[in-house]
Amino acid sequence: MNFPLRRTSAQSLASAVFRLREIGILFALGAAVAFFAIRAPNFLSTGNWQGIAQNVAIVIVVGVGETLVVLTRNIDLSVGSIVGLTAYLSAATFAHHTGASVALVALIAIAIGFGLGLVNGLLVAVARVPAIIATLATLAIYRGVDVQITGGGNITAYQLPDRFLKLASTKPVGVPTLAWIAAGVAIVGAAAVRWAPWSRDFYAIGSNPEAARFAGIPVGRRVITAFAISGALAGLGGFLFASRFPTVDAVAAKGFELDVITAVVIGGVNVFGGSGTMLGVVLGALLVATIQDGFTLLRISEFWRLFFNGFAIVVAVTIDALVTRRLQEALRRRRAEALAARHLEAGT
Amino acid sequence: MTAARAIALRLLARWETLLVVAIVGAGIWSTTLSPFFLKRANLLDLVTPYIFIGLMAFGLTFVVVAGEIDISIVSNMAVSVVCFAQVFDAGVNVWLAALIGLVVATVLGLVNGALVSVLDLPSLAITLGTMAAYAGLAYVILSGEGVASFPSGYTKIGGGYIAGNELPIALPVILAVAVVLGIVLHATRFGRYVFTIGSNREAARFSGIPVMRVRMAVFAASGLMAGLAGVVYVGYFGSARADAGTGSLLDVVTAVVLGGVDIFGGAGSMLGVFLALVLVAELRNGMQLANIQGDTQDIVIGGLLLAAIVAGNLVRRAQTGRFRVRPLRLGRKEVIAHDAADALMPSKLAPQNLKGR
Amino acid sequence: MTEPGGTPLLELRGVTKTYGGVQALADVGFAIQPATVHALVGENGAGKSTLVKIVTGVIHPDDGELLIDGAPTRVGDPQAAHRLGIVAMYQEPTVFPDLTVAENVFAGRHPRSGVRTVDWRALRIEASRILDELGVDFGPDTPVRGLGVADRQLLEIAKALSSSARLLIMDEPTAALSPNEVENLFATVRRLRERGVAIVFISHRLEEVTLIADTVTILRDGRHVATQPAAELSHGAIVRLMVGRSLDALFPKEEAEIGDVVFRAGGLSRGGVFSKVSFELRRGEIVGLAGFVGSGRTEVARSIFGIDPLDTGRLWIEGEEFRPRSPRAALRRGLAYLPEDRLHQGLVQPMSVGKNVSMAVLPELTPGGFLRPRRERALARRFMNQLRIKATSPAQIVRSLSGGNQQKVVLSKWLAADPKILILDEPTHGVDVGTKADVHRTISHLAAQGLTILLISSELLEVLGMSDRILVMREGRLVAEIGRAEATQERVIAAAAGVAEAAA
Repeated sequence: MNFPLRRTSAQSLASAVFRLREIGILFALGAAVAFFAIRAPNFLSTGNWQGIAQNVAIVIVVGVGETLVVLTRNIDLSVGSIVGLTAYLSAATFAHHTGASVALVALIAIAIGFGLGLVNGLLVAVARVPAIIATLATLAIYRGVDVQITGGGNITAYQLPDRFLKLASTKPVGVPTLAWIAAGVAIVGAAAVRWAPWSRDFYAIGSNPEAARFAGIPVGRRVITAFAISGALAGLGGFLFASRFPTVDAVAAKGFELDVITAVVIGGVNVFGGSGTMLGVVLGALLVATIQDGFTLLRISEFWRLFFNGFAIVVAVTIDALVTRRLQEALRRRRAEALAARHLEAGT
Repeated sequence: MTAARAIALRLLARWETLLVVAIVGAGIWSTTLSPFFLKRANLLDLVTPYIFIGLMAFGLTFVVVAGEIDISIVSNMAVSVVCFAQVFDAGVNVWLAALIGLVVATVLGLVNGALVSVLDLPSLAITLGTMAAYAGLAYVILSGEGVASFPSGYTKIGGGYIAGNELPIALPVILAVAVVLGIVLHATRFGRYVFTIGSNREAARFSGIPVMRVRMAVFAASGLMAGLAGVVYVGYFGSARADAGTGSLLDVVTAVVLGGVDIFGGAGSMLGVFLALVLVAELRNGMQLANIQGDTQDIVIGGLLLAAIVAGNLVRRAQTGRFRVRPLRLGRKEVIAHDAADALMPSKLAPQNLKGR
Repeated sequence: MTEPGGTPLLELRGVTKTYGGVQALADVGFAIQPATVHALVGENGAGKSTLVKIVTGVIHPDDGELLIDGAPTRVGDPQAAHRLGIVAMYQEPTVFPDLTVAENVFAGRHPRSGVRTVDWRALRIEASRILDELGVDFGPDTPVRGLGVADRQLLEIAKALSSSARLLIMDEPTAALSPNEVENLFATVRRLRERGVAIVFISHRLEEVTLIADTVTILRDGRHVATQPAAELSHGAIVRLMVGRSLDALFPKEEAEIGDVVFRAGGLSRGGVFSKVSFELRRGEIVGLAGFVGSGRTEVARSIFGIDPLDTGRLWIEGEEFRPRSPRAALRRGLAYLPEDRLHQGLVQPMSVGKNVSMAVLPELTPGGFLRPRRERALARRFMNQLRIKATSPAQIVRSLSGGNQQKVVLSKWLAADPKILILDEPTHGVDVGTKADVHRTISHLAAQGLTILLISSELLEVLGMSDRILVMREGRLVAEIGRAEATQERVIAAAAGVAEAAA
């Protein structure tokens, strides 16, 4: 009997493909680093790496939440507006109450983000508005609210307490505090999707919503949860954004959702839901941030970045779909061959 | 329920009727804000600044009816605008340059179409990507400040007036486009294919409908309309900038969805989209009169977009439960129209062997 | 076996259900005892699926009641049924392709450790145990994406076994399984019975019914015909009770003149699906294509019609070679295919009868590209009369028609294309008896007029009654060709199952 052998071959093929995704990003990351190291003189300096780490941190924090939403076969376009709104609110709170506790303000930002995300979730799960339309609308609405609140004004760094700004400027063990926070969020996120029963449901829902309902999974509640967490992390992202870019006005973080979605999609989270890992998302965010940093050092126009983001999404989605189809075909074929072989054995 | 009430309710339940009521309501509200609203000049000019949005909405209608989405449409317009401007700036005739802008936009639409239909990829993710890519491309192409020296003979089509300097040229233009596209969508084989694919792509394929080609064509149409919108945009604003149309995606999508086009595909009407465009234009105009800022206006428009979908869902659910048919669709109108036509034209006169030709 | 006097686990009393004018169930009443295997048999459309849906709370009866442990109970929804210990294994597998086998088995109810986290070890061990019990050859960590239909069916069984069911409903669990897998399944079923679980077993294979069942309930046209101990029923008796009338009355086959070969398939293969399929069809001939679900019948038809690509093989229509590139190309060459899935492949539900009927012939109906509503209506009217479609007008929405009338609309769509060769895939699946007779009459009539028909059907009696010749497929291969004169249920089943013919 050689069934166990066949088991492992099918398994290892599949897991190899998934690992391939992460290895692929690592490889691309290595190539990008090598390229920029040669072309841009100070690319490899500690300072530059600390800059990349700071840039990538907020994308990762928000990306972890976005990942949960995408896993359920939805999308959240409003995260940029939530980041902008909570960034302004955090900064404004400090500007008006210089003595406010940093942790308390962070909690407020998270709570506001949670509420906004909850609205998205309710729109999608209860009012049955497709996620792309719902969050396109809330993207505009939250930004509109932001503009209302700022009233055209802005808050500058000198209005903010040092305790808050230090979040972005300090570098324990040579790594920026922001990056530590992002690492913490990513680890908690990774643990959650691995160990929390409710977050395993996200995968099931994204993989086959109909079957999820049959299996007794509370689909609506889970989708709302995913959006609410995405909103809460965008709130935290906004709070961090204000410490990193302390001059906050109504256009802060405009278009930020594209950076986040690019990181998530490049990181291998399937836009059809059902598969993806937090490690992939972190690597995806790193790749995006590295390339953008390299572009800046090489004085390549800001706008090529935008182009690159979009292009990367298209390429990642295309490769994803083609690989998934190939994999399915390969697995099926193997299985069919195994069955044929078994029938042959039985027949003789 | 009496028969008369049932008929009244059915008429009321037509989406287009609701839109007309909303347009009148918004008009009354605007009049209370400023008596200037009812001036003929203001009424005639109401839609002019939103012509380019309308053109894109018409293009997007084909895509959404076919069951897809194209959120790259506004970025596509920006690319066509800057291509147009660059070519014109290089000394090419303005009309030829405009044509080149149209071609570029159509090609970009075809890129979306090829990715979605040939490779069978999700249009949402693909056009999200191309939205960013095209926007970046627009900036990259127009490296400088922008072009603003278009000849007045050209800018007239966007901002000029005829008939005693009162009727904006853009108004008859958009009406004509709406009528032509309405005919394409509702009275041609191509249009039927679009509806069929949007209702059930699988069944369409099994029935021998060239699904791949039609899906490709709707994205090309969306690109072409983005190009046309670009041409009008330059005409209206008299300048070309890489951020042309930024922020108007919300209005475009709202016009389509508010116009009663089923966001899941398979239903919608050009008339509805046109009425929704008028409503959006009217509301923006009214809010301007009330001194409400652009971004704050977005809150209202975004709310309207959400409300339109929720209302559509509610009505659909209520009526599906009762009649087991999908309301607010052309189906209902056809029952009336067909029966009337049948009375005039007995079916006996129908061609006996349709396969003969 | 239980003593007849005990309280039944589930009892139905006077259960009635009507769907859009068609009575799916009428006054059905019988009881299911704990620790028994209760077979539910009947033709397609006899009301078995409706009954299952009522018991599992998917739909609610118009009249009548369900008693569980002797107490009247309302089963509100599938989750409520789950809580009552009623678990159904659905015919169409509902799996999560992105997840592993183990997670599929426990989706939505992962085993948890002390701190309420997923206990992956327990998950794998539990899943392994169930898979071993079933005797399948894939492990708990296999990605489901790679599993075929038969494997997914087994996975579905594993899911049902993993829950602590008191009443387990298995709807055609063996349809896609090999004899070996069926044996394993039956061993599992017997073990469950010993544990006191009641199993409702639905199958078309009568050998299996008599092999495994303790009690048999027979439904016909939505009515309860009999509930008897399996030991007292012979195959012949079951068939008689199921059909309730003679074959000829059901299938009025007209004599047709059989002409030249119009269609020839040579060595058709598609990797992992079917291989080396060759056959011929003659003018005016009805050829039945039999075989179990998953034997490759539908897949062959799909490839001929240009939906799935062929790996190798050639086709000829009227002597000329034909390459099936797309359904459109096939249509042009006079091929038409009525798909098995009426809901998703056959009809556009929200569109009108007229639009559906004209769908495949729009190019001919719309010279210059403009629609001609009057011609479309005339076309629809013609078929509404010809096939007796019960619709108020061509503008009526297809969704609002009954299943039988919907199927007639699909048939009209293909007849409008005026094909030379018509492939029918389960043309009477889920339609009422009256429509069935209409469809059969139409098929037979068309053949008499010289149309060539390839009839794919799971219903043996239909294939036997209608066909001039029967082709049988098993595991992707054409394994037998049986002439009308020699065709019997036993012969066809024996060929389809790959077993020696039983002495009937």
